[in-house]
Amino acid sequence: MDLEKLRKTAAEIVSREDVKYLIGWRQGTFGYRAAPCFVEDAAGAAELTFSPLCSANLATYLTLAEKLPVPRGKEPDSRKTALLVKGCDSRAVVQLLVEKGVKREELVIIGCPCPGMVDRALLAEVIPEESAPADLKWSGGGFVLVKNGLETALPRDRVLAEQCRLCRHPNPVVSDILLGEPVQPWEVGPDGGVDEIEAKDVADRWDYWEEQFSRCLRCYACRNACPLCYCKDCILDRLNPTWINRAVNFSENTAYHLARAFHLAGRCIECGACERACPAHIPLGKLNRKLAREVRDQYGFEPGLDANAEPFQAAFKPDDPEEFIL
Amino acid sequence: MSEQFEPNIVAFLCNWCSYAGADLAGTSRVQYPANINVIRVMCSGRVNPLYVMNALQQGADGVLVSGCHPGDCHYMEGNFYARRRLGLLKELLEFAGVDPRRFHMSWVSASEGHKWKEVVEKTVEDARAAGPFDQFRRRQIDW
Repeated sequence: MDLEKLRKTAAEIVSREDVKYLIGWRQGTFGYRAAPCFVEDAAGAAELTFSPLCSANLATYLTLAEKLPVPRGKEPDSRKTALLVKGCDSRAVVQLLVEKGVKREELVIIGCPCPGMVDRALLAEVIPEESAPADLKWSGGGFVLVKNGLETALPRDRVLAEQCRLCRHPNPVVSDILLGEPVQPWEVGPDGGVDEIEAKDVADRWDYWEEQFSRCLRCYACRNACPLCYCKDCILDRLNPTWINRAVNFSENTAYHLARAFHLAGRCIECGACERACPAHIPLGKLNRKLAREVRDQYGFEPGLDANAEPFQAAFKPDDPEEFIL
Repeated sequence: MSEQFEPNIVAFLCNWCSYAGADLAGTSRVQYPANINVIRVMCSGRVNPLYVMNALQQGADGVLVSGCHPGDCHYMEGNFYARRRLGLLKELLEFAGVDPRRFHMSWVSASEGHKWKEVVEKTVEDARAAGPFDQFRRRQIDW
């Protein structure tokens, strides 16, 4: 993507009267990182970047914005928020629109077609991360790492993030301005992680998840990183009734992770934010992708594509599958 | 002589069909296993998937959710929502390693006392075959 064009467009947008700020990415200050940033003026816009390190889902910040009470006699701030979106971010925005979490007229969406992001952990396996910031570029079918003025080509298959390998919608599904040419969606292979667990028998699956969930610290980073976990009154914070105890033990951890995955059934847009945020490396994406797969295969529904769709769990079809019913 | 394992089953029955069906089974003196603990809810659509999970955490070996047949819901469409949600929950529990025999859903109308008996027998048999479900039980902390 042409970064000059991105910065110029962003500068134009933030200078508009009706735009509050723009949410984008800038080069991080450490290693293989790109940091989300809030741009309010042309100087900030000059720092924007879009690279294979920009895996953070910016749609998360839309629902995190604090809405202060409006002083008497004052008009509420009706200025728009501008936001850079990749394919997955745009699906999160669409899902937020479906759920009326954000209003379309309050958004300026700048679409960035995304050829795939790298997994920082995989990248660090190939070339160890150092404290000096490094940049990454797309080149041909792979990536190029720019570090200390040296360029190293990296094969795509080696460092591509899992959620990007399984991505079916690399181009933004909704945008006001589309930067650059749409990318050609790539061949999506079978979802190895989910198939692998489905191949196990039930008791082995329990053992597998026991090992995973036992590591959970209950930091709720997965919930907070998720663009679609934005309930003001979350069941996890509620004490009466206490659905899930706050104790960190296997039973409560399992209940937490199942509840979290279930609350995203038919809503998860598979951006992988939860799994990236997890400090214990719990494969949360597998739970989400399993449910997304069932919703797609059994119910023929894919979230985050149509802003006029009905929310999956708040709708039904008379011919929904019911083979499981006695 | 070893004692047979008696599973503990929590059943969520909708007020209008399944509860009346179970009532009919009782007044018709239909014999069915006594392992069922009935919780009456106004509609099967009222059953939050967290109810099911909490029941399993609090010592249930199996859970049954029963409602009106599709199209017969007192609230017109509650059981359609239940079907969609709990169908997905069943998939999720199975994926997480909970034996699929522990969670069942059924449609029992107010006139189906005999069907209720069959459903309960099947649920209890399945839970008995799956055995005690202790691994998910909530740890009680004694202060």
